[in-house]
Amino acid sequence: MTALFLTYSYDWSVIPKSIAFFEIGLAVTVRIALLSVAFSLVLGLLVALVRMTPGPIGVIGFIYVQVFRALSLYVYILFIYFGIAAVFHLDFDPITAGVIALTLLNSAYMSEIYRAAIQAIDPGQREAARSLGLGSIGTFVNVVFPQAWRIAIPSLVNQFTDIIKDSSIVALIGAPDLMYQTTERVSFYQRPFEFYTTVAGIYLVLVVIVAQLATHLEKRLQRHLV
Amino acid sequence: MIFLDYTLDWSVVTDRWHQFVAGAWVDLWVAVIGFALACALGLGNALLRTSGARIFTVPAFLYVQVMRGVPLYVMVVWVYFGIANVIGVNFTAFQAAVIALALTGSGYTTEIFRAGLNAVDKGQMEAARSIGLSRARTYTHVILPQAFRIVVPPLGNTFIGLLKGATIMAVIAVPDMVFLANELNVTLFRPFEVFTAVAVILIVMVLFFSALVYLLERRLRTA
Repeated sequence: MTALFLTYSYDWSVIPKSIAFFEIGLAVTVRIALLSVAFSLVLGLLVALVRMTPGPIGVIGFIYVQVFRALSLYVYILFIYFGIAAVFHLDFDPITAGVIALTLLNSAYMSEIYRAAIQAIDPGQREAARSLGLGSIGTFVNVVFPQAWRIAIPSLVNQFTDIIKDSSIVALIGAPDLMYQTTERVSFYQRPFEFYTTVAGIYLVLVVIVAQLATHLEKRLQRHLV
Repeated sequence: MIFLDYTLDWSVVTDRWHQFVAGAWVDLWVAVIGFALACALGLGNALLRTSGARIFTVPAFLYVQVMRGVPLYVMVVWVYFGIANVIGVNFTAFQAAVIALALTGSGYTTEIFRAGLNAVDKGQMEAARSIGLSRARTYTHVILPQAFRIVVPPLGNTFIGLLKGATIMAVIAVPDMVFLANELNVTLFRPFEVFTAVAVILIVMVLFFSALVYLLERRLRTA
């Protein structure tokens, strides 16, 4: 094994030479991830509310969650960027297609996180608020949601780490993100090991930072429970 | 209106349905083999992670963080182009896809097995040891069978995740259903039909396995 390793001469100097490209790519990755997380947070909540409505409307929410969770991001992106675009004559730019795909996939995941959190709130809270004369919307906005939000936030932030990782796939349709820049540099320098190891490290750092944030938020938000 | 000049022609898919099925099989197989390896790696790593000795627990913890923190797409090209280049081994695309899925999956399975092992009451280990079972036999006859029940549903979900993830291997030209759809898109320009077909097949497979996991979960709970 050692002998095998020895035949390869590493050249890490190509990495510092490419920092500018990594920076451009990182900015695009962060932008895509932030836009997607913002949209999925909103859409996910709406889906959760639809899903929790009794009757046929709730069934629509259920089907949305089951179907939209069942696709991989790569298939989503191909379907939207090539399939939908061809039928409707929409000229998506790759970033838009990527954000749409990430939002559809993650809103389904997030709606289940919201639902679990909302169901975890003691029904007595809702009954108490209603008996004090708050309307059903007022009860949800002022009483139920602020409590459910605290429960949901760590899982929602963890979902954000998946968004960051999945966003690497938008490189395949040419969005100039971190992975796209890396692939370009690989073809330029012919140094796949050095570049892919570096980009793996950058994604890892991003994910660890966000995961730390989740742990921190969890402690902070549940301080009152201790 | 906007639909008018794109006439749907499903014959692209219906004439080749057997190719799509064959492609879906490739996805399924890669996911199954990758998952089996991920379970083996994960179980071994979970035993290290719960061993209590820092020389084992720290590397096992770092392993989990790295495997879970690197995107699957990056893992696939890292194995196929990066590692292959360094150690001078030419993996086939199929092998590279399986290895990448096994590595990524093992990050998740480690944590599942760890939770399962921790959930077994400590008294079980003490009781088994005090009636004279060796450490190894305690694991194989007492701890693992009990942990098994706890880990099956989350492992099922990991498998579903790997099945979805397997579709990315089209980028290194493993002839799966997505690779087929990409080829048909380029040659026949029927993107909507071919990618819809792929999406429907994937949804059906995922929902099938989700239902299976759900039933298994209910069964294990009542048992």
